[in-house]
Amino acid sequence: MSTTTHCPYCSLQCGMRLSRPEGSRTVEVSEWAEFPVNKGAMCRKGFTSAQLLRNPERLTTPLIKDEVTGEYRGVSWDEALDFVGARLADIREEHGADAIGIFGGGGLTNEKSYQLGKFARVAVGTSQIDYNGRWCMSSAANAGIRAFGVDRGLPFPLADIEETDVLVLVGSNMAETMPPAARHLSALREKGGKVIVIDPRKTSTATNADVVLQPVPGSDLALAQSLLHLIIGNCHVDEAYVAERTTGWDAVKASVMAWWPERGERVTGITAPELREVAEILGTAEKVTILTARGAEQQAQGADTVVAWINIALALGMPGKQYAGYGCLTGQGNGQGGREHGQKADQLPGYRMIDDPAAREHVAGVWGIDPATIPGKGRSAYELLDALGQENGPKALLVFGSNIIVSAPNANHVGSRLDALDLLVVCDMVMSETAARADVILPITQWAEESGTMTNLEGRVILRQRAITPPAGVRSDLEIISGLAERLKSPIAFSTDAEEIFGELGRASAGGKADYSGITWDLVAEQKGVFWPAPAGQVNADGTVGTERLFADRFFTPDGRANFIAVEHGGPAEEPDAEFPLYLTTGRVLAQYQSGAQTRRIKDLPDEGAFVELHPMLARRIGVVDGMSVTLETRRGAMVAPVRVTATIRQDTVFVPFHWVGANKLTNDALDPYSRMPEFKVCAARISTAEGAA
Amino acid sequence: MSADKIDQRKRRERLVIVGNGMATTRLVEELVARQYDGDIIVLGDEDHPAYNRILLSAVLEGTHPIDALTLRQPEWYAGQGVDLRTGARVLEVERELRDVMLVDGTKIEFDKLVLATGAIPTLPPIRGLVQLDGSLHPKVHAFRSLADCERLIEAVEALPEGSRAVVVGGGLLGLQVARALSVRGVATEVVEGTEHLLSQQVDRRGGTVLKRHLKKLGTEVYTGARAVRLTDEGLKLDNGFSLETDLVVLTAGGRPSTALARRAGLTVRRGVVVGDQLQSIDDDAIFAIGDCAEHDGKVTGFVPPAWEQASLLAAHLTGEDVKYAGSRAVARLRATGLDVAVLGDPEHTEGDVVEVTNPIVGTHRKLVVDGNIIVAGTLIGDLSRIGLITQLFDRRTILADSEPGELLMAERLEADSSILLPDEAEVCACAGVSAGRIRACRTFEEAREKTRATTGCGGCASVVKELIESAKAPV
Repeated sequence: MSTTTHCPYCSLQCGMRLSRPEGSRTVEVSEWAEFPVNKGAMCRKGFTSAQLLRNPERLTTPLIKDEVTGEYRGVSWDEALDFVGARLADIREEHGADAIGIFGGGGLTNEKSYQLGKFARVAVGTSQIDYNGRWCMSSAANAGIRAFGVDRGLPFPLADIEETDVLVLVGSNMAETMPPAARHLSALREKGGKVIVIDPRKTSTATNADVVLQPVPGSDLALAQSLLHLIIGNCHVDEAYVAERTTGWDAVKASVMAWWPERGERVTGITAPELREVAEILGTAEKVTILTARGAEQQAQGADTVVAWINIALALGMPGKQYAGYGCLTGQGNGQGGREHGQKADQLPGYRMIDDPAAREHVAGVWGIDPATIPGKGRSAYELLDALGQENGPKALLVFGSNIIVSAPNANHVGSRLDALDLLVVCDMVMSETAARADVILPITQWAEESGTMTNLEGRVILRQRAITPPAGVRSDLEIISGLAERLKSPIAFSTDAEEIFGELGRASAGGKADYSGITWDLVAEQKGVFWPAPAGQVNADGTVGTERLFADRFFTPDGRANFIAVEHGGPAEEPDAEFPLYLTTGRVLAQYQSGAQTRRIKDLPDEGAFVELHPMLARRIGVVDGMSVTLETRRGAMVAPVRVTATIRQDTVFVPFHWVGANKLTNDALDPYSRMPEFKVCAARISTAEGAA
Repeated sequence: MSADKIDQRKRRERLVIVGNGMATTRLVEELVARQYDGDIIVLGDEDHPAYNRILLSAVLEGTHPIDALTLRQPEWYAGQGVDLRTGARVLEVERELRDVMLVDGTKIEFDKLVLATGAIPTLPPIRGLVQLDGSLHPKVHAFRSLADCERLIEAVEALPEGSRAVVVGGGLLGLQVARALSVRGVATEVVEGTEHLLSQQVDRRGGTVLKRHLKKLGTEVYTGARAVRLTDEGLKLDNGFSLETDLVVLTAGGRPSTALARRAGLTVRRGVVVGDQLQSIDDDAIFAIGDCAEHDGKVTGFVPPAWEQASLLAAHLTGEDVKYAGSRAVARLRATGLDVAVLGDPEHTEGDVVEVTNPIVGTHRKLVVDGNIIVAGTLIGDLSRIGLITQLFDRRTILADSEPGELLMAERLEADSSILLPDEAEVCACAGVSAGRIRACRTFEEAREKTRATTGCGGCASVVKELIESAKAPV
């Protein structure tokens, strides 16, 4: 007897089967070959994921920290919820509802994301809710909305990339971050297609590429401008498409005239001949697909960087054409769904904006409350953390599905903000670095112990099915939300039944951009996923429900046209200088996922700790060899780690994976003006050894 | 609003910019971005909106369309509340009256004035260049403005097959124009008065390597030779040669356009002399940027320094305390088949010189290093490391002693065969499988089943196959 479900990690949400042989305590992972996204393929994170289920470090009792001794004591659920409920009520009474902050996550199911947003606005009455997805794909989301009027990571099924002619990956290391997706690269190349990889590091994804460009960190926007300049110069713009399906071209065309290739070369470090070669490949291909990921997006100009790449896709006439276009490779498991149902500071379910009166009225109707009681926009994720314990900032923070201490930028500062809180409540299944700072820790169920839907990187709603019984003593996030709502005297009750919540979520999203109203759990199971939008009553010719591909006829803008938007390269917020002469960039390694709270606890996944990757030339300059320990410093913090010397990275750049405490002590908290995305991917750093510095 | 309130309100500052080239475009962009609190009037004497002059040689070459040069549409200026006047030629600047007069008699008052008048081509002393009526000989072309470019293209297109051209001047622009004409099928020769090509930027060895390149590309170069006379027979050189030609293009330099400043009584040496806020040393309400300005005894003919000046001036005009300390230029030749980059001023900068010249393959690479920092450089014939070297130059990175040398060496080729992989080397990262574990399997399918190798991203499939094949083969 096996259960079909999905991997607990990345946005690919690989289908898998979980089974427990008769009499065994061990849950086994096996292929679910019929699931279309991964067709049975998985990486080691996926097929070791069942080890999470019987992890010895699992928390199974609510814990309250003793104010005097600082020790945790185990308490009953009632005591824990009463305690938190009472403290929150007091804080709300004294400082107002906005003194309570809520921090969600892009790994939470759709149902949890929805309930959390509703809980914040209705039960607590706070505007102060945001989530770690802000640090994931918010730049791409913003760009997608500005250009296309909608944000669905991929507006087509992932497998479409096998059928394109040229695939451009801007800042994606998919071979490590979502390995089964990289199978499409090999398939595409076998069919004669070309892969172009853009990354300051020649990653394992780049080993499967026809062209690898290693630009200066933070110069992806300038790179796009230079390529568009050449595409225009080569007369490869699809003028008919531009005239029929877009607006704003003239301003964009003029804006890239200042990006002649030699200027691009000086800024990006990509030589003019390479720029010309790539522009020629793009301009002469019939089908071009451009995908961006965190490398391009996690910059203080991340949203405009994505816009610049979308401008190329539009100039070439690709979005809406079959097997071509632009897409974003979402990162977290429910990165897509997590941003659609209202846990974002400025949004209500269905991807509605919270300051839109019609949206407020609709959602209030579903919730059965007065629209005037829904708070307005709150602070974005980093701004929320930055405000904690400050005069006008929240005094209490509830954390669901996030390990802030590891994943937030400028972590030393964020740590000091968390410590300034009157009350920190963390819901987690293990003692994560953030949980370890909490006043109250609430132990929760995890992925295979509960059912719920996720929306993967393609906008495909999928169903994670409960495969095993959770251990005694843990509760689901939904139960915690419901319990706290009751104690906060919420005007409405909060269901704990995920399928029922999904039904309500569908009604709340009806008529919105991410319309789930025509989706049911049964349909999701039957179709192996349903793509939104899926308005109630809309059925495709073949009897299926959902919209696989977007933009064939029109974009989601009021006039149906895609918007060209003129943008300008400004460079990173912090450039290397005499004091901090190197670029630091961060990212992931194959065997770990995000903050590592889950994967670092799986014994079959190598946990080698953080390292500092650098080029042999730089290694010689500072006099280090592979394995030697160095101190890596920025203006915000320092870490010590061994070096890994490799010629695959730029000579002026060092790389540190962020799965461990360390990397994010160094990263810059400069925010993108549109998306409020921090600049994780580039800042200035220096390395020192016992002998000297560089 | 009461009368005293109006009095209290300060009149908005009016900034008049003379010239509408690339420096002006950048200045206006930056002022808009910085929300400059004043009225901006731009006076450009050309009829076009501002265009990218750098692309003109590519237009001549046919590698860039002429209708894609505009930097900002007139609508953009209007949208930003900037008063752009094209075809508006300034006749005089009246410093006492604080106004400028256009050729049509219009007077425009200013509080602050920016001169961004650029440069004008100089005519070399060649007899017969100018006809009796003062106009240029019909065969002769300058190459500075869009109008020059259009006129030259028209002339080239009207030429019969087998026509010939001579480019006077072997500097960056001259070589670009020469290559562009060759690409268009015109047999082109270059005449350079000094002893070698690009004599302003590179040394004799570099110039010689370039000369060889051009020769291979079919362009004859005459160095150390001056054109002295244009007749119906051709262009006569001072070494006795006479070059038969249908076209003569003059690229032998330009000079800052300073007539307005001079007449207004401002100090002009080669350019309008400015201080560290780019203000005229005689009048701090008047500024000069770009090719027409002279700062610290230097005039520049390149866009990047002009843009740096524009940015700095915008910062100054919006109240920031800034100082211009000169620019580091990187000059790149834009011409098909010629690879040249010049960082800074390699022939006039103090430092240790590290260089590699290989005339056989046509490369000349040189770095001038001071205090382990690259302070200037020349790269001819091999630009594979230009991206990195430019970054190190721009960032003033302190290098190890051996690095300048390493930077000039060719990259080592990395060749590795899976056969040589040690047993503990990881082959499949997705499943964490070592080469040894693959070698222990007899077939690809067995490896797949037992180790899960190849079942993730699939990138290791070829290596796994190779390892299994080689394990089977007798060693």
